[in-house]
Amino acid sequence: MSHVDEGTLHAYLDGELPPAERTALETHLADCATCRATLTEERALRERASAVLGSARPAERPAPPLEQLRREPKRSPWRVRRSFAWAASLALALGLGYSLRTPRASAPLQTPAEPVVVAQNRGASTQEEKPQSQAQSNVQAPAQRRSNDRRQAGAADKLVARDAPRADSVAQVAIRVRGAAALAPATPRLADSMVSGALARAERDRSAAPSVFVDGAPVSKSMAANWPVISRRVAKTILGEEPVGLPGLETRTFRRDPGTNAVMVEQALDSSTVIQIFQRPAGGAYPYDSSEAASASANRAQPRAYNAEGQLRERGNRLFARFVRGLRVEIKGPLSADSLNRLLEQVAPLP
Amino acid sequence: MPDDIAEVYRNTYPALVRFLYRKVWDAERAEDLAQEAFARALVHRPENTRGWLFVVAANMARDEARRAAREKRHLTLLKSEPDAVHSTPEDDIDAETRTKRVRAALDELTPRDREALLLWDAGMSYDEIAAQTGLARGAIGTTLARARRRLVDAYDAGLEGGQHVARG
Repeated sequence: MSHVDEGTLHAYLDGELPPAERTALETHLADCATCRATLTEERALRERASAVLGSARPAERPAPPLEQLRREPKRSPWRVRRSFAWAASLALALGLGYSLRTPRASAPLQTPAEPVVVAQNRGASTQEEKPQSQAQSNVQAPAQRRSNDRRQAGAADKLVARDAPRADSVAQVAIRVRGAAALAPATPRLADSMVSGALARAERDRSAAPSVFVDGAPVSKSMAANWPVISRRVAKTILGEEPVGLPGLETRTFRRDPGTNAVMVEQALDSSTVIQIFQRPAGGAYPYDSSEAASASANRAQPRAYNAEGQLRERGNRLFARFVRGLRVEIKGPLSADSLNRLLEQVAPLP
Repeated sequence: MPDDIAEVYRNTYPALVRFLYRKVWDAERAEDLAQEAFARALVHRPENTRGWLFVVAANMARDEARRAAREKRHLTLLKSEPDAVHSTPEDDIDAETRTKRVRAALDELTPRDREALLLWDAGMSYDEIAAQTGLARGAIGTTLARARRRLVDAYDAGLEGGQHVARG
């Protein structure tokens, strides 16, 4: 076998070489120092290209509920209702993962749609219903948001059942939801700010359309409850320094974002209020990772707007950030923006 | 049976926004277009949602680029000083500069190489890239190798040639 061309090496590195070719290549590499050296170079090039490209990303914001993306009715009424129902049930299945779009001052709409929680009538209704009736009941769905918490579940009935066992996470979600509910009146434009641009135009004519309102948290934050629990020692290793938190508060858990080097410290403010402190090494290049959580976290490294104190304020998310020593720290919890900001100021390396 | 769009939405939305961003270079526009693409998918219910989305998104980005060219003059006018006076943190400047460099470097690639690279970066497989670009599957590795080299070389050349010397 003559030396391997770089295209083959890239396909190999990309994990896209067909098995037979891969075996042949690996056999050759074992014998050929030249090709091994080339492989090393190509690997570095590949990583470098990913890093370069990865440094130009949009600041990532949570996706609006898919249900919001419905288009203007163009077909028969039956068809419209049906697709609406279908979309609504999707919103349901997506659950907490699809949280509020952050407000955009630049895209005001006239008629704020009432934030209506779509998902929970699934909790009440036990069987699969026909799409039409489901759509209608979705429109006036009452509260009980936490049935939204499970993202992946296809069968919504299971959602409710699965909520029960994990009392801990249910409690947290309930807290978040309370926080979100408290926030809603203060920001009347939250609902309509979920749509923008072309979609906003489409939505304008249907201002009565329901919106899913779950939590202001970005996707990956909501998923944080599923991050693996780690020890403090591991947290320190990941961060390269002591994790930070609020001094004097009980630290409940350390968790790690499986996709990046982010760590979350959960602390209890009191028996019913949990504060989450997200942290990771500031600066430096982040390995490219196409996974959702990783890119979401990585993108938060690129600040969009600072307030006077230089603290990062992510629009509408109740998520504030600052740098503490070498760490970039974000705080989240069911509290007012002011409270969160004040808490954030007190964040320090844990004793 | 069409794909589960909800699943595709959850997994692909960020990648689609990123893909679009590197074509239109406007984060909000990229989000709008990505959402528009999904909205269309909800109506059309394509068999292969992911592939379909990227085709639609690429088309929208192309239209967008034409439109943007027309509006460029207006944008220049709109981007006047007042906003910039707000204490812009250094990080922002750096991020902006970096984005400009990446953009300039990407412009050095041939359209086909660039497309392959952006699709790969958006999480597409070689098969999917081949289907979308019309390249032979066996040529994707070579295309990506060339695209990566070109990107890195152009980016580094931009760093050396630019008047800003990297600060860190």
